Amino acid sequence: MTRLRLIETTLLVLVGVLLAAATINDVVRQTHVNHRLVADLRTWRTYTHHDYVNISIDQETLGFNTQREVLCANTSPGPPGARTQLCLEIWGPVVDGKRAVHGGWYLPPYTPDLRAHRYGCFGTAVAQDMCPGS
Amino acid sequence: MLAATVEIVLDASLEHSPLIPPQPHIATWLQSLGGERLGFRVFLIALLAFTAAYACLLLVLNARVRARALSTPAETSTSTEQRIAAWSIALVAALNLIVFAGPILISTDVFSYIAYARMGVVHGVNPYLHGPQTIVGDPVFKYVGQDWVRVATAYGPLYTLITYPLGYLGVVGAVWGMKAYALIASAITLVLTWRVAQRRGLDRVFALVAVGANPLYVIYALGGAHNDLIMLALMMGAVALTLGRSGDAAAGETVEAASGSSVEGGAGSGAGFAEEGGPGGASWQREAWAGALVVIGGLVKATVAVMLPFMIVGRRRLAPAIGGLVALVLGGLAGYLVFGIHGIDVVSALNRDSAFVSTDSFPNELAHLVGKPGVFPVDHDALKAALALIGLYLLWRTWRGYDWVAASGWTLLAIDVTSTWLLAWYILWSLPLAVVTRDRRLLYATLAVQLLFVIHQTAPLWAPVQ
Repeated sequence: MTRLRLIETTLLVLVGVLLAAATINDVVRQTHVNHRLVADLRTWRTYTHHDYVNISIDQETLGFNTQREVLCANTSPGPPGARTQLCLEIWGPVVDGKRAVHGGWYLPPYTPDLRAHRYGCFGTAVAQDMCPGS
Repeated sequence: MLAATVEIVLDASLEHSPLIPPQPHIATWLQSLGGERLGFRVFLIALLAFTAAYACLLLVLNARVRARALSTPAETSTSTEQRIAAWSIALVAALNLIVFAGPILISTDVFSYIAYARMGVVHGVNPYLHGPQTIVGDPVFKYVGQDWVRVATAYGPLYTLITYPLGYLGVVGAVWGMKAYALIASAITLVLTWRVAQRRGLDRVFALVAVGANPLYVIYALGGAHNDLIMLALMMGAVALTLGRSGDAAAGETVEAASGSSVEGGAGSGAGFAEEGGPGGASWQREAWAGALVVIGGLVKATVAVMLPFMIVGRRRLAPAIGGLVALVLGGLAGYLVFGIHGIDVVSALNRDSAFVSTDSFPNELAHLVGKPGVFPVDHDALKAALALIGLYLLWRTWRGYDWVAASGWTLLAIDVTSTWLLAWYILWSLPLAVVTRDRRLLYATLAVQLLFVIHQTAPLWAPVQ
């Protein structure tokens, strides 16, 4: 039984090390994501000159793990999503606490960010065919 | 620990925090005591401080246990021991009561419990067929978490039945009722943990503090009034029943000590270890009740039912199986009569919930580690297969004499680690079992998993998003 116990303990330690590595990796990853999102929020506010709090962040439209985000928020004061939305495609390195805006589009009020609802694409969003008919 | 808990509860009473779910104003009287709105930074610092203090306290208590083991009875002061026990009980009671007095913390689950109860008793809707969206006009609906408004209850029929009386009390009354359920269940769990640890020759003060002053237990489980506490109370009741009456203890341990050569006690050996693994100790009726209690626990929250095979194999008696079967038939019948076939279809509910993925789950973290965006369906199947293998291995070990209580704890911990839907109160399941077993690896593993969970919460501390 002592040998069996030794094997079990070794396996448990290995599993523990693996879980610890996964946890630390995830905390570091999330911290980097948060740093990037802070820069993205500042970028949206600087670009639009609106100091809004309710800005939605989408990390999947431009691809997971690409570090490219889409941020959408109202173009005039109002409850979240209640006004025409301006969505910005943001990526690149953080410089002076901000990242570069490469393109974007508009959305009607209370409308989810689906291709069919987008209009007024600009910048790289045109070449990416993000709006219908663009 | 007390300061961290008071800080969290007072700040939470001011509401309007991302950590505090929208709720009726049940703790406004605390607002006059000070505090500021609870933000991630304050909460996480308080949680880390609580965790550090808890770890230090366990180290001190463990050192005390070791020192006592090396000293002679004459060197051990009874009055000092009594004083330590009294202070430990006072600490745990204070932590429980502070959280009880405050608002609901972290989770919206309690409002789902209330919604399901009100669906049944106020609106005549079967909570096993529909989600809370069927009672949009009910005052509790606005408090139910957005992710759960379309989801029928996954809890056992017995739990749903015991929540039904609270459905009549209105939302505020029901919230206090749920908090009272959680507090009472916590008290029962802690008393039973204390008694079982003592009966198994382990340090009862260490066991009490390890469970009752655990930060996840206090802040998340009690703070959220989670029904896992009721499950834990029934689980520890079942373990206590297998130990026999206190008056029978000496006889039971003598019998077991005689057969101790074939019984593996885990990490250590010594007085009482034989009782952990082998049969004997409790009467046939108590063993049958123990099996019944596990099934009753399973009818509250299904997870605890995994204990039954280990109990049957470990005790080498049919009594737990018969008791469990009778409880299953009666409980299943009651569930069927009140809720129909969906009320007892636990497998479907478990299958549905096992497909969920939470950001804190270890499979999700492992997926990120290898560069995947998350968990895929094939991963779910692999995880289920791994869990089944672990369960079979532990059954074999139990058959060979390993402590069935420890094996049950390992299985519950394995469920946590392999589950893609992991929440703080789930990683408490194995804790009361871990502190009443001699195989200390289970306690270390449980605490390590909890520590990793706490560490995983800290990302907003290093890079807050405004």
